Amino acid sequence: MTTANGTASAAGTKRSFKLLIVDDSNIMRRRIERSQQFDELEVVGSASNGLEALELFKKTDPDLVTMDITMPHMDGIECIQRLVELKPEVRILVISALADKATAVDAMEKGANGFLHKPFTDRQLNEAIAELIRGL
Amino acid sequence: MSVSGADRTRKLLTVGVGTVLIVVMGAVLIAGFRLATQMNANVAALQTASMLQTYPAALAQHLTSLRDRLEARAYAGQALADLRTTVESFDRDLKRLASGPAEGPMQIDQAMMLWRQYAPVLEPVLAFNGQPYIDTDEAGSVLSKEGLEHYADVKRAHLFARENADRLQGMLAAVATGLQQQASAQANRLRLLLSAGVIAALVLAVAAAYFQITRASHERAAREAQEQTRDILRTVKEGFFLLDAQYRIGSVWSDALTRLFGRQNFAGLPFEELLKDLVPASTLATAMKYIKLLWGDRAHENLMKSINPLGQLEVQVDNGRGGRETRYLQFDFHRVMGPKGVKHVLVSVSDITSNVLLARELQESQENASNQLDMVLGVLHVDPVQLSTFLDATEAGLQLINAILKEPARTDAEFRKKLDGLFRELHSIKGEASALNLMSIATRVHALEDAVSELKKRAELSGNDFLPLVLKLDELMAHIKTVRELGTRLATLRESALPARGASQGGGVDPNEEISRTLHSLADRLAAEHHKRFKLAINGLSEMPAAYRATIKDVLIQMLRNAAVHGIEPAEVRRASAKDDIGNVRVDFRRVSDGYELVFEDDGVGLSPEQLKAAAVRRGLITSDEAAEMDTRAAMALIFRPGFSTKDDVSMDAGRGVGMDVVARSIYALGGRIGVSTQPGRYTRFKIALPATEEHASTAVA
Repeated sequence: MTTANGTASAAGTKRSFKLLIVDDSNIMRRRIERSQQFDELEVVGSASNGLEALELFKKTDPDLVTMDITMPHMDGIECIQRLVELKPEVRILVISALADKATAVDAMEKGANGFLHKPFTDRQLNEAIAELIRGL
Repeated sequence: MSVSGADRTRKLLTVGVGTVLIVVMGAVLIAGFRLATQMNANVAALQTASMLQTYPAALAQHLTSLRDRLEARAYAGQALADLRTTVESFDRDLKRLASGPAEGPMQIDQAMMLWRQYAPVLEPVLAFNGQPYIDTDEAGSVLSKEGLEHYADVKRAHLFARENADRLQGMLAAVATGLQQQASAQANRLRLLLSAGVIAALVLAVAAAYFQITRASHERAAREAQEQTRDILRTVKEGFFLLDAQYRIGSVWSDALTRLFGRQNFAGLPFEELLKDLVPASTLATAMKYIKLLWGDRAHENLMKSINPLGQLEVQVDNGRGGRETRYLQFDFHRVMGPKGVKHVLVSVSDITSNVLLARELQESQENASNQLDMVLGVLHVDPVQLSTFLDATEAGLQLINAILKEPARTDAEFRKKLDGLFRELHSIKGEASALNLMSIATRVHALEDAVSELKKRAELSGNDFLPLVLKLDELMAHIKTVRELGTRLATLRESALPARGASQGGGVDPNEEISRTLHSLADRLAAEHHKRFKLAINGLSEMPAAYRATIKDVLIQMLRNAAVHGIEPAEVRRASAKDDIGNVRVDFRRVSDGYELVFEDDGVGLSPEQLKAAAVRRGLITSDEAAEMDTRAAMALIFRPGFSTKDDVSMDAGRGVGMDVVARSIYALGGRIGVSTQPGRYTRFKIALPATEEHASTAVA
């Protein structure tokens, strides 16, 4: 945790980034929101399915998205594709319980930038987000 | 990269130095040739000049001789002829000398000038052509008139020649000296030039030797490097190769690759081709997508490593003894960067079969430990009476299996029949165990089922193939014994702790009520495991006669499992098709005029004739031509055929291809009928008609 924090502040860029959290479990959404430790991140919304995510994305124009895969009303893979079509420079971190590598490869192919496997530790989450911020 | 650059520089240097040296040598040779030609001319001129020096004196000598002859009235013809010859030779040689080498000494012009002054004096002498003497009687021979004039001319010429002989000779000597100096200067130049040539040749030889040596050492180094690379590639245990941007294998690979894939030549082989026969199409597609991603820059190495779909690949390979065996391969991918991004991808392949098997064993032993706990917990939760009923039935079932195993069989068909019998018995035991939540037993039976399925797939069967089954069956029976002991001890414990409750439960549990409870608990478990939500409503089961109890229980367990796994949709799917989130499963049992009727209905996805047909074709139960001709009724009847199931993956509860065929057979065995009706997307309804029993008849009378 400290590492992630350290890297973020060491980078020194005080630009702020907007984060959208997409997951069909509200426990998971809260977990992600509470566990991320970046001062420069502002959570602009959270969605529980792909369609809702798409709506919120258009409204809030985030820089970063955490994306679940298995969701009702448009799954994560399709959602990633739509988001990248809307904003190619968006950075997407897939957070999924799906263990098969094919899903991860599909997500990456559609335009995701990172993959985090559920369950995850706070440290893993922050490192994965730090990696995404580095690319911004 | 750096080696080839140095190579190019070296080549350029060789060509440059070579060219310069050849030009220098050429210049030296041409200049030397010209100098030699000049020297040759000079030597000839020098000879002429030396010879010419003798002429002035000889001329004077000839004139003296001519004069003396004329004075002595001797024959003068010869002397005059000699004089003429000498003058002609001198004149010719002198002119040749003068017109000879361009850079002749200037004294030659002075000599020419002086010689021209000889001409008027010599001319009359040389022109004389008459008789110099007249013979008279008195005075003998005297000079004639012509002779006198001739004599006078000779005397004058003689005088002139004697006066000028030394001067002319001096001039000619100076010419010779001049020529001599020129010759020696040229000789010096030639020496210089030759030295330069020799030096150039030496430099050329040294340079050639140097380049030869360095090239040889470079070649040796390159050869050694090549040999080392070859040794590495021959020795490493991993299969190594490079992929290019067209996903083709490069021209170099490690020997291990040959062993891993049983193929000799990989050069230019597309990666897809390498995997094609080893993995399912979907894995192949994922692998190719992954390889494509490697060439992009979106994902860094660690992330790519974490999503590598070929990290543990199960492949079927030739075991060298005519059979196939399962191996586990691990592919690792490393990007090789060039100046313009990813240049190659280095792929390493290792056989991790032993690691995988070891890890699996470890996991199994851990699972065993936790299974023990599960067993205790499972037994704790089951009603003691239910448990003992189940254990009795199971033991009876296992006895039957033992009997099946002992049946003599000779032909392949007989063996297969045996397997089918085993499979059905095991399946029904598993169903009961799952319903009672006795997972330790269900898991073991499932493993046995797996072993039987595995045997069914074999091309040929023999008695020995059944041996492992017998061992597993022994283990299962031992486990049942353990569970029974545990159950007994727990029951004793419970009775001593709660004597009152034990007594009240011990006696009058209605067996039909018990079935009802079993079904409800199975429904709860299925709902939780398959993430489904549904209500189970059971009506009229108390009407069921004892004769049907065991069969109908099995039938209901099977149909409930089917409904939960295949029928009821996930809540979101239901919502999308405007249905209530919570599904309904209804069991109605009632008396009818000629017996009993059992209706089992779920409001799930229904049966689709097309899907049923497709599944039947896929399993080889019917051909696609037969499927095309089937009407809806015939298609629905497919689910009662042996070996039919629509779920492709195998789980504890469904998907083994056993189910409705068993149900149908048990119903037929009771003399009943079974039918199915459905509306796709709305419901599936099974209607079972059973004949009246004696019990029914007697109650009806009463």
